[in-house]
Amino acid sequence: MAAIGLPKTAEMNGGQKLAMKYFTVAIALFGAQVLFGMLAGLQYLNPDFLFGILDFSVNRTLHVNAMVVWLLFGFIGSVYWLLEDEAGVPIVGLGLANLIFWVFTLAVVVVVLVYLLVQVGPGEQSSIWLINEGREYIEAPRWADIGIVVCVLAFFYNVAATFMKGKFTNIGGVLVMDLVALAGIYLAGMYYTPNISMDQHWWWWVIHLWVEATWEVLVGCLMAYGLIKTMGVRRKIVETWLYIEVALMFGSGILGLGHHYFWIGTPEYWFTIGGFFSALEPIPLVAMVVHAVFDAGHHKLKSTNNPALAWIIAQAFGNFFGAGVWGFMHTLPQINLYTHGTQWTASHGHLAFFGAYATMVIAFLYIALQKWRGNVYMSGELIGAWKWKWAIFLLHAGMITMVMAMLISGYEQSQIERAIGGSDWMAYFAGQSHRWFMQGMFWRQIGGWVFTAGFVLLAWDLMTIGKRETRPALTVAAETAAA
Amino acid sequence: MLEPVKLADFFTVFFSAASVIMFGATYALLFAWSRIGNRPRLMPLAYAAYVGLFASVIVLALAANLFNNTFWSVIVLLMLAGYLLAPHAIWHLCVGTHADKHDSAPIKVFQQR
Repeated sequence: MAAIGLPKTAEMNGGQKLAMKYFTVAIALFGAQVLFGMLAGLQYLNPDFLFGILDFSVNRTLHVNAMVVWLLFGFIGSVYWLLEDEAGVPIVGLGLANLIFWVFTLAVVVVVLVYLLVQVGPGEQSSIWLINEGREYIEAPRWADIGIVVCVLAFFYNVAATFMKGKFTNIGGVLVMDLVALAGIYLAGMYYTPNISMDQHWWWWVIHLWVEATWEVLVGCLMAYGLIKTMGVRRKIVETWLYIEVALMFGSGILGLGHHYFWIGTPEYWFTIGGFFSALEPIPLVAMVVHAVFDAGHHKLKSTNNPALAWIIAQAFGNFFGAGVWGFMHTLPQINLYTHGTQWTASHGHLAFFGAYATMVIAFLYIALQKWRGNVYMSGELIGAWKWKWAIFLLHAGMITMVMAMLISGYEQSQIERAIGGSDWMAYFAGQSHRWFMQGMFWRQIGGWVFTAGFVLLAWDLMTIGKRETRPALTVAAETAAA
Repeated sequence: MLEPVKLADFFTVFFSAASVIMFGATYALLFAWSRIGNRPRLMPLAYAAYVGLFASVIVLALAANLFNNTFWSVIVLLMLAGYLLAPHAIWHLCVGTHADKHDSAPIKVFQQR
């Protein structure tokens, strides 16, 4: 028997080997997100910094796009990780899956290089196709858009065909249906119309529905699998709850889209729809607190993988505060009129994306690494545990500092720029140059440095965790086996 | 239909909206903890948290001018009912989904005795 703690790639199935590639790129892109975010933050404090070399618009684009893509790589990797385990058969079309991984990675590299090398120029049909589509958050040129859809369709084929050949678990069923939406809704972002209201209408389908519906469901599937693996929760319970949570999420989340339609020129009935669902959207989150306490009471938080469980718990809190508290503070149209698009929104976006998605992908990385190291011990008194503990602390401390700082800047903007200044051009600059805004940006940068330190520690821990362990993983999965 | 928030009420709106969610979570937490741990004395605290939520919703509704319109007044009532009943509904789902697990084990859930 090979020694515990050393990489056991040969003992992993094809999907898991592929998943490790996706995870590697995901962490590299996470690093890129942090780097470009830090540079953009510095440009808030010193607008001349890197002017003409690496413009703010490009930094911001790279910061946001890197986040979208690293999470996507993390999600895809996580699904490939669990696929053979869930379906009970080898992945159908593994060769295609490997090819798609390299195509996708190469495409991301090319898009990033083009962003960096062609920062200014005329906006023409050719630039939309080859350089930058110009839609905020989904700036990827049209060829890359098509490439993303092709990659997701190939991914869908791998997942659906594997489940069809093997056994279709409930997690598998929800996952397959979700991937249809993942590929389909992205198409809405490729629809071009010169009417800005119509353009924004469809653009929000990608930004809201892609992220707040399909990603949430994907995370629900990963969470279900993660709870089975780390806490030994019975499959029947987890899968029942997956259906309940999907119903709650779709019930309030799909038409919650309406709160993005308040100010883009869509008909007035969106105030009614958006206001109604925005007011009721947090209720499922509050209700889920009950379920969390119920499960914690039954399972006494025994875990085979403490870092993964810690990040799963962080996901529950992050989702609650980022999406629930930070969202509801400014979601009603009576106040959203003043906060929409200010640093307030950025504060909500940072906490919600980190809390709901980044935490879950990191949890999955630890689940994967445990097996990669030969199903190594990762419970209490793990050797070198200080690294993951300090990483989770620094990442959260940095994120909370950034979020609070942006909240103060956003509060100032909503008052000075929006309510007092009336949102005109001069008011915009009055808001941007106010000392409260600048102090918020300064503290945001401090938080960014702390977050960066946490990221470095996280990357180091991911490379080394379990390396010096000789103990095998604890087994608390008796319930799962019996179910 | 919409009456924007007055400048002087900005902080009240932000704070009361955050309080709605925080009191909602506290209510849900104490409610579930009381039942899972068979600690009935926590239940009054849970309902005290709901009273905090109720007050927060009313303050939010007044500051955001929600009572000036029938539609928004109905939403306020739905929020109050939703936050009150959701923990009860989810608790029943929890008990239901874990039911067969406890067929042979003593049930710790005090309201089912």
